[in-house]
Amino acid sequence: MAGPLSYPRADGLTGRLSDLFWRRPGVLLALLLAPPLLWLGVIYIGSLFALLTQSFFAIDEFTGMIRREFTLKTYGELFRPANFDIIVRTVSMAASVTLASVVLAFPIAYFAARHARGRWKVLFYLGVMLPLWSSYLVKVYAWKLILAKEGIISWALQGAGLGFVLDGILSLPVIGGNSLSVSYIGTFMVFVYVWLPFMILPVQASLERVPVNLIEASGDLGASSRQTFVHVILPLALPGIIAGSIFTFSLTLGDYIIPQIIGSSRLFIGQAVYAHQGTAGNIPLAAAFAVVPIVVMAVYLWIAKRKGAFDAL
Amino acid sequence: MTFAVEFQDVSRHFGDIRAVDHVDLQIAEGTFFAMLGPSGSGKTTCLRLISGFDQPSSGHIRIFDTPSEGVPPNRRQVNTVFQDYALFPHMNVRDNVAYGLMVRGDGKAHRHQQAEEMLSLVKLDGFGDRKPAQLSGGQRQRVALARALVNRPRVLLLDEPLGALDLKLREQMQEELKSLQQRLGITFVFVTHDQGEALSMADSLAVFNEGRIVQVGPPQEIYEKPRTRFVADFVGSSNVFDPQITIRFANVARWSSLRPETVSLTPAPDATGVLARGHVRSTRYLGSSIRVTVDVGGADITAQHPASAPVPQPGAEVGLTWATDALHLMDQD
Repeated sequence: MAGPLSYPRADGLTGRLSDLFWRRPGVLLALLLAPPLLWLGVIYIGSLFALLTQSFFAIDEFTGMIRREFTLKTYGELFRPANFDIIVRTVSMAASVTLASVVLAFPIAYFAARHARGRWKVLFYLGVMLPLWSSYLVKVYAWKLILAKEGIISWALQGAGLGFVLDGILSLPVIGGNSLSVSYIGTFMVFVYVWLPFMILPVQASLERVPVNLIEASGDLGASSRQTFVHVILPLALPGIIAGSIFTFSLTLGDYIIPQIIGSSRLFIGQAVYAHQGTAGNIPLAAAFAVVPIVVMAVYLWIAKRKGAFDAL
Repeated sequence: MTFAVEFQDVSRHFGDIRAVDHVDLQIAEGTFFAMLGPSGSGKTTCLRLISGFDQPSSGHIRIFDTPSEGVPPNRRQVNTVFQDYALFPHMNVRDNVAYGLMVRGDGKAHRHQQAEEMLSLVKLDGFGDRKPAQLSGGQRQRVALARALVNRPRVLLLDEPLGALDLKLREQMQEELKSLQQRLGITFVFVTHDQGEALSMADSLAVFNEGRIVQVGPPQEIYEKPRTRFVADFVGSSNVFDPQITIRFANVARWSSLRPETVSLTPAPDATGVLARGHVRSTRYLGSSIRVTVDVGGADITAQHPASAPVPQPGAEVGLTWATDALHLMDQD
C-alpha cells in the first residue's frame, strides 16, 4: 500500500488566485462584472437619468436660462404642431423602414440559415457585413450621388426609356420630390440600406435555431409549405424579427445624419435634438425629444410581448 | 394481398454512400414491424423514404398499393413519431396534438375534443395546457405519439422513439406501444438499434446492415435461426464459429452460431456428454446470471451460468454441453 498522497502546492500568485476562484466562484464573477457594470450602470444609465431630469426642466423665455424646477411644460411643447409633426414623421419613417427591412431581410436570412453551406455561407456573411466595414458617412454620400437627379438610377431608367416611371413616383404627394435625393423615398431607401444587416443577422440566427425536424413534423402532420411557414417557422423566427426591428426602429428614430444629407429638409427627431441642444441652447426640449424614442420603443416592446412575440424564446 | 408498405428494389445513394442498397421489403397491414440495425445501416433512411422526407435514387415504394413517387409528406397517409419528438415549442400540448387537424381545417371545438381524446389514449389527461418544455421526456414521447395518431394514419412510423428514455420508462413504453398498436390495428413501423426492443415488440422484423436487409422474419426465427454471422452477433450475443471450429462439433464445414443460454457448464470436464472442454478465461456477472467464457482451444465459448450456482474461478478446467440442435448452421458467412 502506498502512503497518503501529498497534493502539489498551488504555484505562485496565479496558482493561489486560481484556488481562490475555485473556492469562491462569486469573487471571480464580481471581478468580471465590475467594469461593465460600472460602465453601463454609472456612466450610461447615469447620463440617461441626467437626460430624463433635464427634460422635466424648462427654459425661461425671457432670460433663455434653464429654470431648475419640476415642470411638464417642456413635454407640452412636444405637442405643438411643429414639434409633433417631427415626431409623427420620424416614427412613420422608422416604421416603414422596419417593415421594408423585414420583407427584404427574411428571404436572405432564410436562405442563409436553411440552404447556404460552406462557401455560400461565407459569402453570405461577407455580403451582409462588408457594407458595415466602410464608413457610414461615405456610404450616405455615395447614395446621394446615386439618387441625385443626374445620378445612375435616373440615368439608367431614362436610358431604358422608363424615365416616366421615376417621374411618376417623384410626382406622388408628400413622399415625392424634385429628385430621389431630396425626397422621403430617398431617405427611406438609404435608411433601409444602412440598417438592413441589423435585421438580417438576428433573423438568420433565429431561423438557424429552428430545428429541421419541426419543419418535417409539420409537413408530416399534413401542413402545406405555406401552413408550415405561418404556423411554425414565422412564430419561431419572431423573436429574431423583433430583435432586428429593435435595431432598425431605434436606429432610424435616433439618426440625424441621413435625413440631413438625403431627403427634404424637414426635420427628424435626431436633427431636432441636435438643433435644440446646440444652436438653440434649449437643452430641456432636446432632452424631451430624446425621451420620445425611448417611450416609443418601450410601447412597441410592450405590445410585442402582449401579442406573444417572445413565447418561443 | 395488399401490403401496407412495399419496397421494390429501392436504393438511396448520397454521393458514393449507399445508404439504402437494393432493398425489397413487404410490410403486412396491421403488423408491428421493426427495422433493426446498427447506426448507419440504412434503417432510418428507409423510414424517411416511407414518410416522404427523402426520395429513392431508384426503385419504387408503394403505400397500400399506391405508388408514392412525387407525393409530398403532407399528402401521404403516414405519420411519424420523431426521435427527439419534434414538438412545437411555442404551442401547448393540446395545440401540438391538434396540429394535424388544424392544418386540415377542422373547427376548434372538434379538434380540441379529438386532442383530449388522444391525450387520454396516451394517459396524459389534463396536460393540454402545458408547454412541451414543462414535460418530462416520457411525457413528451406520449404527446408526440398522440400528435401522430390524431390524424388516424394508416401507417405510423416510429424513429427510435424510446432512445432518449431511461431503462425503466423504456420498458413501460414498450408495453404500452405494443398494446396501443394491437388496440388500434394500425401498421407500426418501428426503427431501433436495440435488439431487445425489436425482439420483444415486433411481430416481424428486418435486420439491416450496410444499407441492405440481411434477414426478415418473426423475432423467434431471427433469434434462433440467424442467417448470417452478422445477425447472430447483432441480435443477442452469440458464439459464432468459423467452419474449422464448426467441424469439430457438427461434422460440417460451415459457419455456425451457438446461443450462450443453450450452453451449460459442468465442473467435471470428463463427465459423459461433454462436447467441449477448456479453461475458464473470464466471468461476467449480469445479476440474474453469469456469463462464463471458456477457452476451448482455437475458440472461446461463452456459456450462461445461473448466478445461484457456484462460479468457476478463472483458469479452472470445465466441460461444456449443449443439445445438438442448439448449434445453428448458417447459410452464409
